[in-house]
Amino acid sequence: MDVLNGWWDDYFWGAVIVAKVFIASLSLMIIFGLLGAAAKLSDNRLAQKIGGAYTVIFRGTPEILVILLLYFGSAIALTALVQLFNPEVRFVDVPPFWAGTIAIALIVGSYATETFRGAFLGVNPGSIEAARALGMSPLQTFFYIRIPEMWRIALPPFGNHMLSLIKDTALISIIGLNETMFVAKQAITVTGKPFTMYIVVGLIYLGFSTIITLTVMGIEKYGNRTTVGAQ
Amino acid sequence: MSFDLNLVLESLPQMLAGFGITLKLLLVSGSLGLVLAIVLLLMRMSGKFYLDWLAQIYIYVFRGTPILVQIFIIYYGLPQFEAVRDSVFWSILREPTGCAILALTLNTGAYVSEILRGGVLGVDKGLLEAGSALGMSARHKLIYITTPLATRLALPAYSNDVISLLKSTALASTITIADMTGIARTIVADTYAPYEVFISLAIVYMIFTLAIQKLFGLFERYLSRHTRRED
Repeated sequence: MDVLNGWWDDYFWGAVIVAKVFIASLSLMIIFGLLGAAAKLSDNRLAQKIGGAYTVIFRGTPEILVILLLYFGSAIALTALVQLFNPEVRFVDVPPFWAGTIAIALIVGSYATETFRGAFLGVNPGSIEAARALGMSPLQTFFYIRIPEMWRIALPPFGNHMLSLIKDTALISIIGLNETMFVAKQAITVTGKPFTMYIVVGLIYLGFSTIITLTVMGIEKYGNRTTVGAQ
Repeated sequence: MSFDLNLVLESLPQMLAGFGITLKLLLVSGSLGLVLAIVLLLMRMSGKFYLDWLAQIYIYVFRGTPILVQIFIIYYGLPQFEAVRDSVFWSILREPTGCAILALTLNTGAYVSEILRGGVLGVDKGLLEAGSALGMSARHKLIYITTPLATRLALPAYSNDVISLLKSTALASTITIADMTGIARTIVADTYAPYEVFISLAIVYMIFTLAIQKLFGLFERYLSRHTRRED
């Protein structure tokens, strides 16, 4: 374990970056998932098509391709855009943090689309009729009936999406994000102990996965507190 | 910034040359992973707490860490130990392909075993009771009742996992393997045309994904042929 001395703080800051990517991509993933589900559930044929294409494309393409395409692709697009205004500019660098965050949010968002869609369809029609009978407006029905019922159905698969998200952050090291994998690579060039260094990365991710799993279990328990006695 | 169709036509055959490697990674680690999954499942069903725990810890570790970390631990990490370099497995672990297959097998085995367990738990208890009433032994019930029914129940989730495995094979490119993604990354490094190369490769993967879905759909239809009503 002596070889790890001096690397702990690097691993710590790497883990902080993993956590940052996770939080940013989680927020985006929820937005993409809800938009996708809204598109797929809408009456508009075009929106349905777009939603369908989104899920087919991002569920059928390897994660690493999406990350590479977004990183190199957006660099080229931005460079072309900037060159319109200033032809002197040779190359615009895109931060790997955002390219990677958006990429994994798009990927996991396509899975979340299906989860949210299924959960909205799983809301008891009787509850919605009851809301209408009580004179609730569609907006009230959405916030007081549909959302609270839907998230209980969506939570278990949504927990799995969060686990996919945290594990996908490791892929962003491929485009040079200085997270834990990147720290390990640096540590290996100095110490020559690849096994030890990557095992630490594995343990950090195992810790993150455990925290997420326990949190989801807690929320699930909280969400079902009103239904426990009824079963 | 324009989409160069000639480049697509030029690079597509080059990338498809790596199709064989992608297919090999998928088929070999897919079938070995299935065997591993069945072993893990039997350990969990054995009723011996130490076997059950061992399998659960294995599944927890391999599902809780990113596949990229697992690949790196095996490819870069294991040679750190002299015992590994002297062992008979060195001929496999020296080759990146061997390491990729090993990592993918260990990873998919953990996921698939949980899917199979879901299938086994879904088998109707009444059928097993009927089996007991007919005087079937535990082994006969496992072979003639649980296995066929659990297979049918687990198949849809299993097909999703095969697709995940296909997407994970793309990560083999990170340890110098020239699969389709590996070749694409080399072409992009030469031409700096990420759009043309990565998008056309993404379409190849999507077609592959759809083919897998179709194949499993047919198999599912075949397995449930008795349950369909004749019109």
